[in-house]
Amino acid sequence: MGRKAKDSLIKGVIYLATGITLSVLLFIVGFIFIKGIGLVNWDFLTRDFNENVVYAFIESNDVPLTIDEETLNGKNPYDKRYETHLEGPIYVENIGAAIAKVAYKNHSTEREQFVITYIEKDSPFNRAIDSTGKSITIGTDYILQSINGNDFTSLTLAEVAETISAESGELKIKVVQPGGGIKSNIITTLYMVLLSLIVALPLGIFGAIYLTEYAKPGRLVNMIRFAAECLAGIPSIIFGLFGMAFFVVALKFQISLISGSLTVAIILLPVIIRSTEEALKTVPMAFREGSLALGATKLQTIFKVVLPCAVPGIATAVLLSIGRVVGESAALLLTAGTVAQIPGTLFSPGSTLTVQAYYVAKEEGNIELACAIGIVIIVIVIVLNILSRVTSDKLDVFNKK
Amino acid sequence: MQAIKRKKQKETIIEGFFLICAFVAVISVLAITVFVFFNGLKPFISNSYSLWDFLTGVEWRPGSNMFGIFYMIVGSIFATLGAILIGVPVAIFTAVYISELAGSRIGKMIRFAVELLAGIPSVLYGVFGLGIIVPYVLKISPMAQGESLLATILVLAIMILPTVVSISETSISAVPKEYREGSYALGASKIQTIFKVVLPAARSGIMTGVILGIGRAIGETMAVMLVCGNPIAGIPTSLFDQIRPLTTNIALEMGYASGVHQELLYSTGVVLFIFIMIINLAVNKLVKAKVGS
Repeated sequence: MGRKAKDSLIKGVIYLATGITLSVLLFIVGFIFIKGIGLVNWDFLTRDFNENVVYAFIESNDVPLTIDEETLNGKNPYDKRYETHLEGPIYVENIGAAIAKVAYKNHSTEREQFVITYIEKDSPFNRAIDSTGKSITIGTDYILQSINGNDFTSLTLAEVAETISAESGELKIKVVQPGGGIKSNIITTLYMVLLSLIVALPLGIFGAIYLTEYAKPGRLVNMIRFAAECLAGIPSIIFGLFGMAFFVVALKFQISLISGSLTVAIILLPVIIRSTEEALKTVPMAFREGSLALGATKLQTIFKVVLPCAVPGIATAVLLSIGRVVGESAALLLTAGTVAQIPGTLFSPGSTLTVQAYYVAKEEGNIELACAIGIVIIVIVIVLNILSRVTSDKLDVFNKK
Repeated sequence: MQAIKRKKQKETIIEGFFLICAFVAVISVLAITVFVFFNGLKPFISNSYSLWDFLTGVEWRPGSNMFGIFYMIVGSIFATLGAILIGVPVAIFTAVYISELAGSRIGKMIRFAVELLAGIPSVLYGVFGLGIIVPYVLKISPMAQGESLLATILVLAIMILPTVVSISETSISAVPKEYREGSYALGASKIQTIFKVVLPAARSGIMTGVILGIGRAIGETMAVMLVCGNPIAGIPTSLFDQIRPLTTNIALEMGYASGVHQELLYSTGVVLFIFIMIINLAVNKLVKAKVGS
C-alpha cells in the first residue's frame, strides 16, 4: 500500500473515532431529553415525590357555577401520565368545585379516583385549613377520598357528588396531593451544595493559600500535594464507606444531610485546592512585591491584593464544586439516604437529584422518570460549564496583557 | 516595637491556621485509610471469617454466611480491561484529531463536548445503559437478561472517554513544535509524524490518562450497578454473563448490612482501596518521570 493510501486510511480511522466520541455524547444527551422531556413541566418541578395525604377543613357554602358547561368539560388539568379520564366532570355547588372520575396510576398500582378539575373563585376550598388551623392550598388535580368519614371507594361519580351535596356546615375532606415531582430532591440538592461548600471552601482556599504563598518546597508540601492527589483519585464509594463509618456511625450523625454534606466536603477539597492554587499562581509576582514594597504585611498583601485578583479562579472552583455535588451519588447513597423528602433538620435524611434518578431507575425501573430528572441535572451541568468558562476566561486577563 | 511584635505574632498564628487548613487533606486521607482498613480488617483479625475464604470464594450469600469476593475481583478486572480496550483507542484518536487535525474552532467545539461528557453524572450513564445498551445486548445475547459484562464494558468505555481524551490531548499539545518540523523536514507525512514522533513523545502523558481512566473504571459504582446484573455467585466466562464488581457489592448492601456482613463489605472496600492505591502510585511515578525527562 502506498504511503498516501495508508495515510488516508489512518486519517479515516481518526475521523471515525472522533465521530464516535461526538455521537456518543449526542446520543446520551438526546436519549435523556427525548425519553424524559414528556414528563418535565411545572408540576414536576414543584411537587413532592410522594403523595401527600391531608385532611382539609372547609365551611360548605353554595357557590354557583360561573362558566358554561362546555368550558367546564374542556378542563382536564390532571396529568395524563398518571391519570386516564373515566367520567365527568360534575360540578358540586356546596364545595364550589367540579370533580371527575379518573383511573389513577401510581408506582405500579392503578385505582379509580376522584380528582378536582375546576375550582370556582369563591369556592370554600380557597379558604381550606388543616387540623392545626393552618391554611393549606388545594388545587385542581388533587384527589378527594372521603368527606366527613364517608369513603368514596367504589362509588360512582354521581354518588360521590350526591354524598358531598348531602353534607353541610364544616366539612372534613381527605385530600391527596398527587406526587411524582422532584421539589424535595431539588431542595435537598441545594442544601447539600450550600453545606458542603460552607465546609470545604474555606478549608480549600486557605489550604491553597498556604501551599502557594507560604510553603517552602519540601517534604511537608509534597505530603500535602500527594494527599490532595490521593483524595482526587479515591472513588466516591470509598468516601461513602468512610462517611458511613465516621460520620454516620462513629459520630452518630445517622444517615442525614450533615453526614452527606461533610462526606462530600472531603470530596470537594482537592477540587477547590487545585483550582484556587492555579488561580493564585496566575497573579503576577510583581503585584505582591509592589504591595510589600508599600509596607503592607504578607497577610494584608494576600487578602487585599492576591485574593481579589484570584476571585475568578475561586469562582471557577465554586462552580466546579457545585457540579461535583450535583453529580455525586455513590457517596451520598450511603450517607444521606434515598428518602425523597425535604430534610427538616441537619440530622434528617434526604435524596439529591442524582440519587433519586438512580433510585427510580433501579428500584422502580422507571427510565422515563430517571431521564426527566436527568434533564434537570444536565441543564444544571451545562449552565455551570458555561459559567465556569466565562470565569476562567476572566482569570487569563493577567497573562494576556 | 511592641506593635510590630504583636503584628508578627498575629501573622504567625494565621500562617499556622492556613497550614492546618492545608493539612486537612492529609488528615482526611489518613482518616479514610484508617477507618476503612480498621473496619475491613476486623473480621480477619478477630477470626470471625477467614481471609482466604474471603479472597478466593466465588459465592456471596450473606444469608448462609458465605462471603467470597474472588468472582467480583475477576468481574471488576474484566470490565475495566474491556473498557480500556474499547475506550482508549477511540479516546487517543479523538485527542489526536483535536490537537493535530482539527481547526481551532472545531477543536474548541469538540473539547467543549468532551468536557460536557465529563460533566454528566455517572448515574445518567447508568440510566442510558439501562435504557439503550441493556435492551440491545439482550437482543444479541443467548441469556435471558441484558445486564451483563458486555453492557458494563460499553458503559465504562464511554465513561473513561473524557478522562483519557482530555489528558492525552493536553500532553499531545505540549509536544514542542520543533519535533514536528524536524519530522516534516525529513520528508515524513503528517500522519507519519503524528504516529512516529508526536505520540511517542507524548507517551507518558497518554499513559497517565489511561491509568486515570483505569482508576475511574474500577471505582465506578452507580452506572455499573444499573447494568451489571449483580449476581450472587459465579466467575464470568462469557461477555453475556452477569458480573458483580467490588464497588456495587458495597453500594448494594451497605444500607442494611450489619455485623460480620457489614465488616466484610468494608473488607471489599479495602481490596478496592488497594487497587486504587496501586493506580495512584503508578500515576505519581509517571508524572514524576515526565518532570524528570
